[in-house]
Amino acid sequence: MSDYAIVAEDLTYCYGDLVAVDHINFKVARGEILGFLGPNGAGKTTTINILTGQMKPKSGRAILLGMDVAENVKKVKVDIGVCFETTNLYEQMTAIENLNLFACLFGIKSFDANVLLNRVGLEGRGKDRVETYSKGMKQRLMVARSIVNQPQILFLDEPTAGLDPTSSKAIHNIIIQERERGATVFLTTHDMMEADKLSDRVSFMNQGRIVALDTPLNLKQQYGKRALKAKVITPGGKLEDREIALDTAETPGSVKELFSQENVVTIHSKEATLEDIFIKITGRGLVE
Amino acid sequence: MNIHIISILVSKDLSLFFRKRAIIILTFVGLIFYLVIYFVMPSSVDENLKIGLYSPVSLPVFTQIDEEGLEISPVESEEMLKEAVLDGSYVVGISIPVDVAEKLSSNQKPRVNLYFTPDAPQEIKDAMEVVVRELAYMQTGQPLAFDVSEEILGQDMTGTLIPPRDRLRPLLAIFIIMMEILGLSNLISEEIERRTAQALLVTPTTVTDIFIAKSISGIGLAFVQAVLIMAIIGGMNRQPLIILVSLLLGAALATGVSFLISARARDFMSVLAWSFPILIILIIPSFTVMFPGAITGWVKIIPSYYLVDTVHRAANFGSGWGDVWVNLLILFGFTAAIFWAGIYILRRKFQ
Repeated sequence: MSDYAIVAEDLTYCYGDLVAVDHINFKVARGEILGFLGPNGAGKTTTINILTGQMKPKSGRAILLGMDVAENVKKVKVDIGVCFETTNLYEQMTAIENLNLFACLFGIKSFDANVLLNRVGLEGRGKDRVETYSKGMKQRLMVARSIVNQPQILFLDEPTAGLDPTSSKAIHNIIIQERERGATVFLTTHDMMEADKLSDRVSFMNQGRIVALDTPLNLKQQYGKRALKAKVITPGGKLEDREIALDTAETPGSVKELFSQENVVTIHSKEATLEDIFIKITGRGLVE
Repeated sequence: MNIHIISILVSKDLSLFFRKRAIIILTFVGLIFYLVIYFVMPSSVDENLKIGLYSPVSLPVFTQIDEEGLEISPVESEEMLKEAVLDGSYVVGISIPVDVAEKLSSNQKPRVNLYFTPDAPQEIKDAMEVVVRELAYMQTGQPLAFDVSEEILGQDMTGTLIPPRDRLRPLLAIFIIMMEILGLSNLISEEIERRTAQALLVTPTTVTDIFIAKSISGIGLAFVQAVLIMAIIGGMNRQPLIILVSLLLGAALATGVSFLISARARDFMSVLAWSFPILIILIIPSFTVMFPGAITGWVKIIPSYYLVDTVHRAANFGSGWGDVWVNLLILFGFTAAIFWAGIYILRRKFQ
């Protein structure tokens, strides 16, 4: 049995002349949460579509659970769950009917939709038609549907985009619970806070290529800049910012000088965010 | 192909079909559509009588006549004349015998044959005999003694009088079947546009499973409704097997058309926009039964003509397999071609 749940080997996909996914390589260990970050059009959704067998790569291989996806699409689909970026539920059916339908398609015999609805915070709404749900409720139902078959790999494409904090938190809890169950989670998101909080490793994708892949901590250490940020009152009574870079030879002297010569009002450490690092690497922001 | 998955998808499709408010609205739209058809039908009748004439001897008056309402065209042989009458090019065919001049000069009665289409009204048959005698008078300047014999080409359907409401049977059958095009097209286009098909395709469901399920749902819905309606209005009393086969092929034809429409349509409004012109075309042949002679031979290029004609012959005249097998074969050919084209185009959209 392969140690890796997902292996992408030189994956490439083109829409006409546009190279959407450009020879990308990465591996995701079993039970790992990989945050897949990148701006719109970076190639994240195309990568998910290739990994889940919805598209065939122009070149390269996608291997899931030791199986080449292109050659074993039907087998692979039994063990994966996919939550799409766009809501695609049967809106004229109830939540329970939606979940039961997909449980039947996976051939699951003893399935209780209410248990899953409770997990995503939709208890008591199972018999309502989905068309009456709010966006957040629909998204939670989408996540519930993606785990109907208790997948070994869970693909989540922007699962919390545009959601209120309550819905986002419910989905974060599900992601953590799924990881605890042993599932591998492939999470694409714009939200670097979400990726930072949930992911074991994050991957930055830009213009079809993976430009960085590591743990959030390592990326911050490698590309980030630690600093002390202080607010001081000048002799003229104005409030001004002061920033002292950490990890340099001059740092102790600069700190001493700050406190002895300035009237410090507040002081705190400043860490680089994943957004800062992404901008540093690619020269563009995650949300454009 | 997974039968378990297909049965689940069929069940889901049927469930969704009957939950749609759009379907209820469609029923009303159907009624309005009926009225529109009624009012767009011509309020006047084309009174020109197209007559084919085979005459081995020269009869200038017959071909040069400028009588209002008569259009006489020469035909080269008696066989060609019969074929032209059968395919609807002429309402009546007149065949003058070779020995017409000899018999007239020897005071014998030449025999003129008149050929009619199976559904030619009795009034036309009566009138034609008068016309022939009149033309002969104009040609020779004196009344001539003729034996005029009438022959019905194909099955004579004028012998039995059909109540007007029985003439409605093919119209109702095709109307029910073709209205399913709207519902099914909407169901499929929604599956694509709302990306629920994408959700199905990340389960063990394949595109083939989806297509088989849609075909079963579409054909099943149209077929069952048409059979029920036909049974209620007494259309199954004669030749039920032929009616069932015809309706099944008709339902498959409608499903194929739905596949084509849903490959183009993006939402309910565009389903309506695409469906109505097609529905109007497909329903036209049923008016050949309601109003015989109102529509000429071109109607045979419309696939649904072969459904209408078969249902009309079998339900109203008790025609057997020997009379309708060509119709059924042509209907099968049209259905297979349209169904295949629909699947081919729609499959590309799914993928």
